[in-house]
Amino acid sequence: MMNPVVRWFHQLGSPPYFDRFSARWAPVAHGLGLLVMAYGLYGALFVVPADYQQGDSFRILYIHVPSAWMSMATFALMAIYAAIALIWRIKLCEILAMACAPIGAAFTLITLATGSIWGKPMWGTWWDWDPRLTTELILLFLYLGVIGLYNAIDDRRSAARAAGLLAIVGVVLLPVIHYSVTWWNSLHQGQTISLFGKSHMDASMLPPLWAMVIGTHVWFFGSLLARARADNLRREAGKDWVAKLARARS
Amino acid sequence: MSYRDYVIAAYGVFAVVMLWDFFAPHIAIRQHVRAARLRAARMASNAKESGFPLSRE
Repeated sequence: MMNPVVRWFHQLGSPPYFDRFSARWAPVAHGLGLLVMAYGLYGALFVVPADYQQGDSFRILYIHVPSAWMSMATFALMAIYAAIALIWRIKLCEILAMACAPIGAAFTLITLATGSIWGKPMWGTWWDWDPRLTTELILLFLYLGVIGLYNAIDDRRSAARAAGLLAIVGVVLLPVIHYSVTWWNSLHQGQTISLFGKSHMDASMLPPLWAMVIGTHVWFFGSLLARARADNLRREAGKDWVAKLARARS
Repeated sequence: MSYRDYVIAAYGVFAVVMLWDFFAPHIAIRQHVRAARLRAARMASNAKESGFPLSRE
């Protein structure tokens, strides 16, 4: 008898099953993510005290840092899905890899925009060709490259393979982004928050940040399912189960 | 040192991008389901016009 977890994993590879799964869990993840983020945002805007040097502008950190982490984590996950799709030819992994790209691009855009807005009062400039900022901008271009390549080729499977390859190659940028503040002289501040080590922030300022980190991760899961569902329906257009679903919703 | 406008602008960007991230896939899903419904209706009407049943069941 097959292990239930293995059986569920095999079932998930079936497009109609995945459609039902994502239709059920995407709203749950979005709702839960929103709830946790609402708690984090309330803490960030109304509970934690202003920084003694940066004043209220430091509150931008609560959206900037989780978004920056998500921008890199999403790219790593996209590359993992793309590698699995390339090696084992699992269609669902192709779909999931390509669903990561717009979400990752959104988080990268938030990182760059909020960083720029934060930079103006603190550094006196909206933008600087600093290693951290430049590598994060290259990450955005990589995401856009993956999205563009995927939509430029008609055959969905060939498109996913080509774009997936770009995602795998692009992974080399992630350690460069992470260590850019250590390797080079940077206008961007060094690491102040650590997942496992000691954070250089007062403990009273940390709970909303962790809430935002968890919230953005849960939100990401909801977006991943919703976007993968849309791509799954696009690829399966013309199949009986999609026609049945369309009739059921009319 | 309040920098309130900068904070509002940053959180505004965050809210707008997250809203787009939420609505874009839902709009795409709705479009795909609608296209499938139209395709099914077209096939049914073509079958009716040609006089052949869709299936023998």
